[in-house]
Amino acid sequence: MRRLILTFLCIAAAPLLASDNALLPFSEAEVAQILTHGPWPPEQQRDPSNRVSGQAAAIDLGERLFFDTRLSRNNDRACATCHVPERSFTDGQKRAVGIDVGDRNTPTLMNPRLQRWYGHDGAADSLWSQSLLPMLNPRELGSEPQKIAEVVRRDADFACRYEKAFGAVPPADDEAVMVNMGKALAAFQETLVSERTAFDDFRDALARGDRVAAGQYPQAAQRGLKIFIGKGACITCHVGPNFTHGEFADVGTPFFLAGGGVDPGRHGGIKRLLASKFNLLGRYNDDTSGAAATSTAHVSLEHRNFGEFKVPTLRNLKFSAPYMHDGGMATLQDVVRHYSELKEERLHADGTNILKPLHLSAREEADMVAFLESLTNYTVKWRTRSPHEGPACRPGVSAAAVPAN
Amino acid sequence: MRRAGLLAACLLAGAAGAQTCEQPPAGAARAESPRFVLYYKPEPAIVLNKHFGLRVLVCPKAPVAGPLQLRVDARMPAHQHGMNYKPKVAATAPGQYQADGLLFHMPGRWELMFEVEAAGRSDKLAARVDL
Repeated sequence: MRRLILTFLCIAAAPLLASDNALLPFSEAEVAQILTHGPWPPEQQRDPSNRVSGQAAAIDLGERLFFDTRLSRNNDRACATCHVPERSFTDGQKRAVGIDVGDRNTPTLMNPRLQRWYGHDGAADSLWSQSLLPMLNPRELGSEPQKIAEVVRRDADFACRYEKAFGAVPPADDEAVMVNMGKALAAFQETLVSERTAFDDFRDALARGDRVAAGQYPQAAQRGLKIFIGKGACITCHVGPNFTHGEFADVGTPFFLAGGGVDPGRHGGIKRLLASKFNLLGRYNDDTSGAAATSTAHVSLEHRNFGEFKVPTLRNLKFSAPYMHDGGMATLQDVVRHYSELKEERLHADGTNILKPLHLSAREEADMVAFLESLTNYTVKWRTRSPHEGPACRPGVSAAAVPAN
Repeated sequence: MRRAGLLAACLLAGAAGAQTCEQPPAGAARAESPRFVLYYKPEPAIVLNKHFGLRVLVCPKAPVAGPLQLRVDARMPAHQHGMNYKPKVAATAPGQYQADGLLFHMPGRWELMFEVEAAGRSDKLAARVDL
């Protein structure tokens, strides 16, 4: 009798004991939404505006330039100074620190090929033109075309690598050389694809109908995901495999600058973009079809763009704290609470009607954080390196070289 | 005489688009206003967060004096915002237009908005697209 009672108790308790390792019920519509966040990694496509996109010699040169402090005015800062490989190419600072302290948080460089616009305000429409901005910004690296071009002219090893990538020695035109260096930097950055995460395994298990494998995904993250695609409506802006539509939004974060004035956000970004000779409507775009410039040709400047900043990816967030365009939120808990307690009066009056305070319970907030954390892969496979690491370049144009611009 | 009649029929059909209006493009969707029927076909197909164009055919229900002008835009009524891009519309033939540069960046209900101006008046037509 006693054995019978014990057996009955064990069977009754089994669902509770196994509750941390089981698939929650997801409707057909929910599953369909979840599947849109993959597969990962996505198919990588070359950038048609950059003729050395995907080219090994350009990637090698770009990686070396990324770590080279000679790209800065005082030879003391490189791209990697703020975009630290071991920190998912961010710096852990509230605001970027170049020659001067900047107004905005250092964004991650992960998965750049999936972006349409670059920078918090989208002032660049290509990865290679974005790579030029920090070099030329007096508050970041503070350099100029002549000094930048000298890095590949005066350094025999770099001159050799430049020739391998672009099919000719650096020409006399400093600006053209600088643009090519931007294209090499972009070719390297395109290789920064984040690894698969626990969420990706869950998503793929759902796709193939493997309930057992899907049930391995932590239940807190499953509950958080339900909020994300349900009452949170986060999927409105954080769409697709990279968890962002790549456009801009006003989410009620402050846009007053430390030194006074207002950060114009996307509004200023569009104006800078259209005024730039490095945009895709200009002569440095290698895409002769014109397709790559479609977004730039049609982008619309609206009053509501004031105070809008780019919707970031949610991948690898654990590495990219603090958060928001100004680094104003230290933790993911702070971010989730911001949306839970959203102050609607801080949103623009002529803005969109999307965000509402979510009024999450403490448990729901914890579940959302658990879900967001499941979008991080904790493997760190990139490392800081010396620009002149490895064997020296051997002169002679490679078979993969392309005609000079 | 017979050849002249055939030629006249072709010219009339070309000028008024009557032949095309009677046989709109396969797969085209339809919108209607008091004065016009409008057919539109996305090319390429509308995919979330990708640029697309529209082939548009404007068919007057009765003869309209003067040229037609077409404007195209889109918005999300529930979110109270439009696209982040301004389409460019070009006439490709009488009553036929190509609109390029549209992009729907969010999932949900969009409303395509067409405005046809003719003889000093504008007709507004709308079509729903659910992404």
